[in-house]
Amino acid sequence: MPPFKDEHILIIAPGSQVTLAQLGLPESFTPARFRFPTRMFPAEKKGEFEPYKIRERRQGGNSSNGTDAPKEDVEMKDVEPSAPEGTGNNEAAPKPESGDQEGKKESTEGQEADGETKKETQEIFYEEDVTSDEGAISPIENGHIVDWPCFFALLTHVYNTLSPPFHTPILLISQPAWSARDREAITQFVFEKFKTPAFCLMDSALAICYGYGTSTATVVDVGKGKVDVTAVTDFLVNEHGRGIALQGCGGDYMTERLQELLGPKGFSREMCEQLKRSNITEILPAGTPLPGTAATARQNPNPAASASTGGQDGSNDTVPRGPGKGTQTGLENTNGEEEDEGVLDVAAIVSGNTSEFLANREKEKAEKSSSKKGSTDQSGKPIRLPNSKKEKASFQYAEYARLEPEKDTPNAPARYIRQTREIEVGVERFLSITPKQQTGERLTSDILEDIATQIHHTILAVPDASKRSELWDSLVVVGNGSKIKGFTHALLNTITQKYVLSPSATIFTSELPSNFSTPMPTGGTNTPAPGQSGPFNSTVNPLLVAATHSSNPAAGNMAPGTPSMDPSMASHYRSTGHSQTPTSVKTLKPPEYFPEWKEHGNSNAPGTSGSAGLGGGPNAGPGGPGAPSGGHGMEEAVFLGAQVASKVVFVIDQGLSKGFMTRVEYNENGPSAIHEYSM
Amino acid sequence: MNPSIPPSTAEYGGDEVSAIVLDPGFSTTRAGFAGEDTPKSLIPTYYGKYAVEGQERLIFSDDVFVTPRPGLSVHNPMGRDGIVEDWDMAEKVWEYSFTSRLTGPRPGNPFQNGLNDIADGELPTEMDGVETEEKPLADSPLLMSECGWNPTKAREKTIEIAMEKWGTPAFYLARNGVLAAFASGKASALVVDIGASNISVTPVHDGMILKRGVQHSPLGGDYISSQIRALFKTNTPQPITITPHYLISSKAAVDAGQPSLAKYKTFPPEKAPDASYRTLLEERTLSEFKECVVQVWPGPNKLSATGPNGVSNEEVAKNNPGRPFEFPDGYNQVFGLDRYRVVESLFDAKAAIPDPESPFSAPTQAQTVPELIKNALNGVDVDIRPHLLANVVVTGASSLLHGFTDRLNQELMQSYPGPRVRISAPGNTAERKFGSWIGGSILASLGTFHQMWISKKEYEEHGPTIVEKRCK
Repeated sequence: MPPFKDEHILIIAPGSQVTLAQLGLPESFTPARFRFPTRMFPAEKKGEFEPYKIRERRQGGNSSNGTDAPKEDVEMKDVEPSAPEGTGNNEAAPKPESGDQEGKKESTEGQEADGETKKETQEIFYEEDVTSDEGAISPIENGHIVDWPCFFALLTHVYNTLSPPFHTPILLISQPAWSARDREAITQFVFEKFKTPAFCLMDSALAICYGYGTSTATVVDVGKGKVDVTAVTDFLVNEHGRGIALQGCGGDYMTERLQELLGPKGFSREMCEQLKRSNITEILPAGTPLPGTAATARQNPNPAASASTGGQDGSNDTVPRGPGKGTQTGLENTNGEEEDEGVLDVAAIVSGNTSEFLANREKEKAEKSSSKKGSTDQSGKPIRLPNSKKEKASFQYAEYARLEPEKDTPNAPARYIRQTREIEVGVERFLSITPKQQTGERLTSDILEDIATQIHHTILAVPDASKRSELWDSLVVVGNGSKIKGFTHALLNTITQKYVLSPSATIFTSELPSNFSTPMPTGGTNTPAPGQSGPFNSTVNPLLVAATHSSNPAAGNMAPGTPSMDPSMASHYRSTGHSQTPTSVKTLKPPEYFPEWKEHGNSNAPGTSGSAGLGGGPNAGPGGPGAPSGGHGMEEAVFLGAQVASKVVFVIDQGLSKGFMTRVEYNENGPSAIHEYSM
Repeated sequence: MNPSIPPSTAEYGGDEVSAIVLDPGFSTTRAGFAGEDTPKSLIPTYYGKYAVEGQERLIFSDDVFVTPRPGLSVHNPMGRDGIVEDWDMAEKVWEYSFTSRLTGPRPGNPFQNGLNDIADGELPTEMDGVETEEKPLADSPLLMSECGWNPTKAREKTIEIAMEKWGTPAFYLARNGVLAAFASGKASALVVDIGASNISVTPVHDGMILKRGVQHSPLGGDYISSQIRALFKTNTPQPITITPHYLISSKAAVDAGQPSLAKYKTFPPEKAPDASYRTLLEERTLSEFKECVVQVWPGPNKLSATGPNGVSNEEVAKNNPGRPFEFPDGYNQVFGLDRYRVVESLFDAKAAIPDPESPFSAPTQAQTVPELIKNALNGVDVDIRPHLLANVVVTGASSLLHGFTDRLNQELMQSYPGPRVRISAPGNTAERKFGSWIGGSILASLGTFHQMWISKKEYEEHGPTIVEKRCK
């Protein structure tokens, strides 16, 4: 088989919320170029699915202006062929979506833009409904594939959108929750539908390890509705004790909690979702007084600010709109963008600490929210009080509103406009992980405690006890649910409070120093070859002997000649040559040599988190090429790892170590052979 | 086969499907595909039960350890002697063990899995003769293990479940002792299995169990836990109580031996988990204690005896460096001699730490490991005894106790000075823990094993009694 080329490799990473995909490996690995919302809409024909929500509109007349459906979308078989019209983008200049469509072809975010409207030459119009997700089917829930036809339709949609050439190896990231049979079904589908020459099914936790460039790590993947906790030792996933799809601990919990807090104030779920993603939502370190409850709050709520909360109360009303209603939508959209950017600036600088501009800012904010004119005169410098000290803060809420059709063209497709407005919230934004009032079925005080318990359980279940200490010291917290500011820190805090051993309990430890268990070429000696078994075979890890003999600080305190110095006793240290863990807990540092992954680290700006419930709405807009999915940092390390791994597996290794399954092998052995290759 | 022609789906199935090996134990249930080296699925046999709004919910798998739930109680379908007591729940736990990680809930309708193109314009008509009700094991043969003293009734019930509830096309029931011998590559062996609820000694000859020689006693891992609890009660300066993590909101560092300063959590009584839940989580702390602290006196001779140079063994043990242990509430202490005492009664019944409240009655000498081995050997033919002694296989997770195999070797050398004694105990933790599962995995993937399966047809002809005839 000819070797695979970088630019042919197709990577797909399905998640419960968003499916990442990319064709080809760039010179320097980038965040995923395509982000598909993981949901499909039922098509007209039963059993088939559409990637976009299509609404049928029956109306007389015939029209051919407007844009057509993207050709690459094969899922639209059942929609009658739409009028081919290549120039749609230019013609539709007044449409707000025009930017989106360009984005569709060039930018990464375009896929979520959904800013398409479809129509056909018949009496029946099909138009896209971007305002609601109603009726959407999520093929993956809590990591489990719940709707196979829908899942396969999504894979097909991804595949067709990227339209790879023939000689394309596919790397698919598998969720821990998938059973062996699930993996077989996917393997069969990929080989038979896509006719791929080579297929690699890689565990998401392992991919994250590749992304972090580590062979041993405890991977905590905080997803939409669930958390996976996996201990990886020497590039091997420890299946036993693995925390698979711990339910109710993901990002949705935080949204629900915010909604519980803010629901009475008129916040919709979508607002809470965007609030959660905004940079003002934060998890404060335990013991930090909430602003406003303590003297930390310097600001006094000025009348202007309270005036602006009026908008929040009436948030369910029709949204006030800018002046150019229906006619100057393009302009308005631009305004919105500028507003957006202004706030982003604030986000960037908000970590400062002078507070003199506060009043200034507040006034300005009030002004803006009352007028909603998208005032672009950002004269005032951004405030400098850190978010955690402010009693109130506001975030940008974006939503779609439908425009009334113009009178002269009654048959024109419905158009939508993305509107942003500021909404102010109080200290509730710091309470996103606090226990719900309806505790429901759990007694733990918050989700961090659940996650911490699961980490403890998972690490304790690792059979190789000498690795446990290292596992505690190499925690990797990823997943978009962990993006919320302060999450990782708070998690570490919880672990420290509950699990980390006090120094006095470990002072006598005869365990080898933890730096001895760092990965090294001889690491394999930790598990002696099974053949040489026997009671006295002394398959002692030479490192352990070295450690217990040379650098055992505790032994010095003991009576000389204690048996631990006796070589014949060394065998005891092999089986359980460890003491309790953890003595410390740390997170791993992400690699620094991927510049594209670095900057976006903690950008929590609203709308950057990909597909919101609104059909990915907030990401729409003239993102343009060259601005790949701003704000996806190492939370999506799984995709970085997938790129590293596919380079290794397909290009460098070329199958020597059975990293992928080839078509020939598939034909000989069938889908169940994937278990020998899956990583 | 031509690689350019896509294979048709009909070519898979049949014997390409690897069998599922299910090894149910008292503490954990192991399941996986035959031919693999570790079971893919490892779940506790314990399950949790609680009620939400009057509806009963069951929790399987590790989740029971992680999230406390209101009114949660913990149960085990297996009896202390390794024989199933609650068949309904045993079926559910076992079923969960393979459906969760291996087979998925149940195979989907082939017409809806996206792999079969349906001709335009027609919906697939229901095929005649195809069972509409899918069973979880409809296309995987199943090999299960059982303890050596499983009664006929239980064996018949097992095949009934496998055939009728799970719909497996082929079934076999093997003794876990025999399987553990296979796992270490031996057809004849004396298998010493130190499990959670039981320790057992099984003589195996040419792949057949020698029933008269099978011995078992309840001095397993749970018994050791009860000994540790007894030790904690009599601990000085103060008795140690184990408070599981879920009851602690935060702990503070204290010096060794000082009372804990932890902040505790309280649950309203109507929501508090059942006592059985607390016991289960205490066991988890105890297994950590067993891993980190407990050590078997390696011999020679008993812990209470005097060593060769006139110093009592206890003195020597006392001088070994102690091992620290911190409890979930922050209390910590260094354990010296005591960490040897808690397991000594596995070899020396007199050394048991008395505890009137323990569910385990004080052990008799006949229940100790050396005596079990002696009795097992007495139950078999004289000619094969030396052969068995040369092939002692140690398996079971509790045998991973520090120094256990050393001590066992010493004891055997003393009792049988003549013949060559050889203990084979895999150094790899997984191989020791999953010995009988691995044996099953090897057995079920052998080509020659195919004739051993009890097929569905045979079962339908002869009924459940066939298991007694075929699985000896």
